[in-house]
Amino acid sequence: MPEQEMQLTISTSPHLRSPETVSSAMRDVLIALLPVTLISIYMYRWYAVFLIAVSMVSAALFELLFRKIMKKQATLHDCSALVTGLLLALCLRPGTPWWTVVLGAFFAVGIAKELMGGLGWNRFNPALFGLAAVTLLAPLYVGTTSTFAAPLRQFFGSLDVITQATPLALLKQGLYDQLSLSGLLIASPGGALGETSALALIIGGAYLLYKKQIRWQIPASMIATVLVIATFWGNPLENIAAGVPLYHVLAGGLLLGAFFMATDWVTSPITAKGELVFGIAIGILVMLFRKALGPTEGVAFSILIMNAFVPLIDRLTKRPKFGEIPAKKAAVAPARPAVSKGN
Amino acid sequence: MSVRTFQRGVFLPHYKEFSESEPISTISLPPEVIIPLQQHIGAPNQALVAAGDKVKAGQKIGESGAFVSAPVHASVDGTVTAVEPRPTFTGASVECVVIAVDREQQEPQWPEQDHAALTKEEIKAAIKEAGIVGMGGAAFPTHVKLSPPSPIDTIVINACECEPFLTCDHRMMLERTSDLVEGAKLIARVVEAENIVFGVEINKPDAIEALEKRIAGENNISVVRLEVKYPQGSEKQLIKAALDREVPPGKLPLEVGVVVQNVATAVAVYEACRFNKPLIERVLTYTGDAAAKPGNLRVRLGTPISHVLKERGGIKGAPPAEDGEIPMPPHLVGKVIMGGPMTGWAQSHLNSPIVKGTSGILLFTPSMVAKTAHTDCVRCGKCVDHCPMFLYPNYIGLYAEKGSFDRAAEWGAMDCFECGICVYVCPANRPIVQFVRQTKREIAAARAAKAK
Ligand code: SF4
Ligand code: SF4
Repeated sequence: MPEQEMQLTISTSPHLRSPETVSSAMRDVLIALLPVTLISIYMYRWYAVFLIAVSMVSAALFELLFRKIMKKQATLHDCSALVTGLLLALCLRPGTPWWTVVLGAFFAVGIAKELMGGLGWNRFNPALFGLAAVTLLAPLYVGTTSTFAAPLRQFFGSLDVITQATPLALLKQGLYDQLSLSGLLIASPGGALGETSALALIIGGAYLLYKKQIRWQIPASMIATVLVIATFWGNPLENIAAGVPLYHVLAGGLLLGAFFMATDWVTSPITAKGELVFGIAIGILVMLFRKALGPTEGVAFSILIMNAFVPLIDRLTKRPKFGEIPAKKAAVAPARPAVSKGN
Repeated sequence: MSVRTFQRGVFLPHYKEFSESEPISTISLPPEVIIPLQQHIGAPNQALVAAGDKVKAGQKIGESGAFVSAPVHASVDGTVTAVEPRPTFTGASVECVVIAVDREQQEPQWPEQDHAALTKEEIKAAIKEAGIVGMGGAAFPTHVKLSPPSPIDTIVINACECEPFLTCDHRMMLERTSDLVEGAKLIARVVEAENIVFGVEINKPDAIEALEKRIAGENNISVVRLEVKYPQGSEKQLIKAALDREVPPGKLPLEVGVVVQNVATAVAVYEACRFNKPLIERVLTYTGDAAAKPGNLRVRLGTPISHVLKERGGIKGAPPAEDGEIPMPPHLVGKVIMGGPMTGWAQSHLNSPIVKGTSGILLFTPSMVAKTAHTDCVRCGKCVDHCPMFLYPNYIGLYAEKGSFDRAAEWGAMDCFECGICVYVCPANRPIVQFVRQTKREIAAARAAKAK
């Protein structure tokens, strides 16, 4: 056979690939966040648009910048910086000063992700790391809204809703009668952008579950743990009568955390079993923060704390290999097989 | 009607429609056959012929004194032109007997005998003489597999054909149902197994029907319906699904009283016992979205794949072959694979000969060719979810990439049978099978160094 012109690809098996890529997964997350994003824009108007735009653009720019400095290929196409930027914005309250947002994006993408080695190597959820960093460094500028919204007012007009007491604050003070369940569920102002509608978050979470981008284990175990603790902390009957367990689930960013933060691929356990452990532990921490500690953002810190324990959880939940479990069944001489004709 | 399966694994697109309804047809003899002396796992063969010798189809041309080995035979009448290294499907060069094929071929005579009268030892000898190996791709000598040190109660015939694209076993089940069942019975006789179970995926209802019709009234032979899931045809997964027995890590199926043989092997065993016919041809699937005329083809061993391409009209949309040249326009064909799409070998040229373990030739258009660029693991857990051996492909890849092969082995690299699922599902496109092979090599080398 004479030499001929051929351009055949030589690569090891397998020769088929699923259509799934990191970018397609990240795009799914962006799609899943769309409902809550739209509701927050509906609620907070230009304040929300401004916050989201600043956060996403600066997250993307920091990724470009850090990778350029470290002489690595740009990875903007994987969309992970955009996801981080959007998640960070959803954790913040309208009127948060722009420089606080930029600082958050710097810590999220620059420090927590790129300095750790890039996507896949980060130990902590980038968006939450960014949020925690600005919460600790500039506490005055996160979470309060009235003063810092002032400079924006001349551009965006005034908006009463952004100065309301947040549902979480009411929850902490035990002012359940001022909370509206249906409001929390469908759309209500107060709090961070991502806390405006539980329903929107649930729709987004359901989409991710349907697309198999996340497993049910983390959201289910986190929410169930919060429900149980909220019920039994104090008098269960009174709690249920007042709807306390439901408030705890619907308010204060728990759903945002359960569906979008704790489920982050990189910073959650690798097996389904590990995820159960992880979700339960986060649920416990969230309730401890809410019941025992001051008005800090409990969900974010709970998830970050458990992020640190992921390698340990992975090791403790290591599963046996195929054939390792039923040693009894396999080791003894096999019994006559249960072979039935044409079953 | 219950459909059984194993845990984890993955649903792949089937791609069987190209060739599944094509009856088996025979490919003409090429001008030259290239017969690798080693086509099996085990001791290498010595050539029994030299350049200039005349050989007849079915004549033994390579043999070894070792037990774990299988002889090779001339697949045609012709003249040996060389015994020299030639590239084979893995890319490595192997000592081959090259035979110029005679224009005039004598019709090979295979005297019929009563295979039912053969003793256990005679059957095993016939299998060894015929050079039969596992024809699903593993190529382990069949007579060795049928010499287990402990009792066997069940023979499982692997009739899953779980890899996408491949349909040759399916066609064999339809066209040679009776020979297949007889072959399975011969195999069961060798190891004195009481039961024979055919494991068939339910996407082959016609094969299930044909088999059940054929075995009606026979005791101890049954057909088990299996879910269409990859790798249903892997030995351990098949035994788990069909019999609910688990083969422990690092052990063989005989540990749980089972021997698995695939469809083509069982038919070859029948031919060896019935006609004393050595393994000189096989049926394979010629397919792919770039193949002009896909089909299920009976091909003499040693036929270069270029000959098959030529006879089947080459590449879809490309001009026909001229003066022995097959046009391979890069915009129409991007990859040529020997074997299945999940475990086969990509070819850099068309000269590799078809061997005993070649179950398919696949031609992919450039759009089917998987990208090879990969990124870091994003810990999505999909590989862990789908690995049929319950390993941690993510950690295997992570540690092998860093050169920590001991750690890679700790997370299961040595138990991996390279099914390719982890790579298929990985959104970061991590080449984990490559890392596994590297780990296996490094660990074997380290062990060898220690043993010295
Ligand atoms: S690690 Fe091995 S056995 Fe597991 S999915 Fe990957 S290739 Fe298959
Ligand atoms: S599928 Fe790929 S990215 Fe996901 S955990 Fe496995 S190796 Fe990592």
